[in-house]
Amino acid sequence: MKRLLIACFLSVLMANAFATPEQDRLALREFFSKRFPKLDLNEMANGLYAFDEGAREQWLEMEDFPPYEIAVEAGEEAFNQPFANGKGYADCFENGGIGIRQNYPRFDTDSGQVVTLELAINQCREANGEEPLPWLTGELAEISAYMAYTSRGNEMNVVIPDDPRAIAAYEAGKEYYYTRRGQLEFACENCHMQSAGNLLRADTLSGMLGQATHWPVYRSKWGEIGTLNKRFQECNEQVRAKAYEPQSEVYRNLEYFLSYMSNGMELNGPASRR
Amino acid sequence: MHMKRQLPVLTLVILALCILQSPAMAADQAEYEAALAGAQETLRDAATRVQLWTTSDQLLQSAAEAAASGDYDLAIRQLEEAELHAQLALATAEREKTVWQKSVPKPDHP
Repeated sequence: MKRLLIACFLSVLMANAFATPEQDRLALREFFSKRFPKLDLNEMANGLYAFDEGAREQWLEMEDFPPYEIAVEAGEEAFNQPFANGKGYADCFENGGIGIRQNYPRFDTDSGQVVTLELAINQCREANGEEPLPWLTGELAEISAYMAYTSRGNEMNVVIPDDPRAIAAYEAGKEYYYTRRGQLEFACENCHMQSAGNLLRADTLSGMLGQATHWPVYRSKWGEIGTLNKRFQECNEQVRAKAYEPQSEVYRNLEYFLSYMSNGMELNGPASRR
Repeated sequence: MHMKRQLPVLTLVILALCILQSPAMAADQAEYEAALAGAQETLRDAATRVQLWTTSDQLLQSAAEAAASGDYDLAIRQLEEAELHAQLALATAEREKTVWQKSVPKPDHP
């Protein structure tokens, strides 16, 4: 009996210490259900506009002529422009690159690395003899915006294969999200879970759920469309933590974890934010 | 007689001036380089733990500028501060090593 009790205790302990990604995702939804019992959790894909009614009205009016529209058009044109060798982006992706944004980031079992959509776009260019594009804004963000636009309405479907390297990448991203850092000692979680829906100075903080469904984003603050890695860097610097290089392993793992947490939610990128 | 009484005072004044002018009082390039090596080592540790602060780069830059202008005292003070910031970042890393898991929602999260 004593052994059975010990075994039960250890199994509970192990289950808490090593929750599966799916257990993490369900627990996160439960957390927000309790935190915001009257909120439809799918609304959280709209970031702060799920909480701030006034800001939401302004945003909905902006959506009549969304500021990312030009980027989507430019992205479509760039996407369909053949490379010097005659091939194109459509040759690098399943389904010709249309309606596939919800599957990214994905884990590449050959390289043992997380591959984000932006990384895959630049890998496609390099494989076809083209120079890679800058990671944060410009043509790469525009192509990503177009690919997201063709995937709107699809449910996020990030897969973590049964591969210890994939689990390790997911866990590294998870640890990063919950670890305090920088001179101000803030974790991502402090703003986007504990304080989600609250004001930080004049801005309402978005919640963690749905944070990966709508990228790239046109931010009024930036005056242009930018990738999620740009936002990661900005968040880091706001708490005086040194930012990492775009598409560094740290950020790719973080995006992997964050995107998995949004699984099952509708993809709604690109989007506009303040 | 009067001159004899003034001699020890004069000697003391000269000695004090010599001490104040001594190059040993001001930091030199070798001390700066030792401080730089120390700061860089601690910063490397913090980087390994994914815990660098933005302030470190700013302080290293200021220290390099001060050293270039020959103000090694200021440069070393900046390096000491950069190293202190890296030590504090490492302290966060050490504490967070286990603490971060407490923030992860569990199915029975209150």
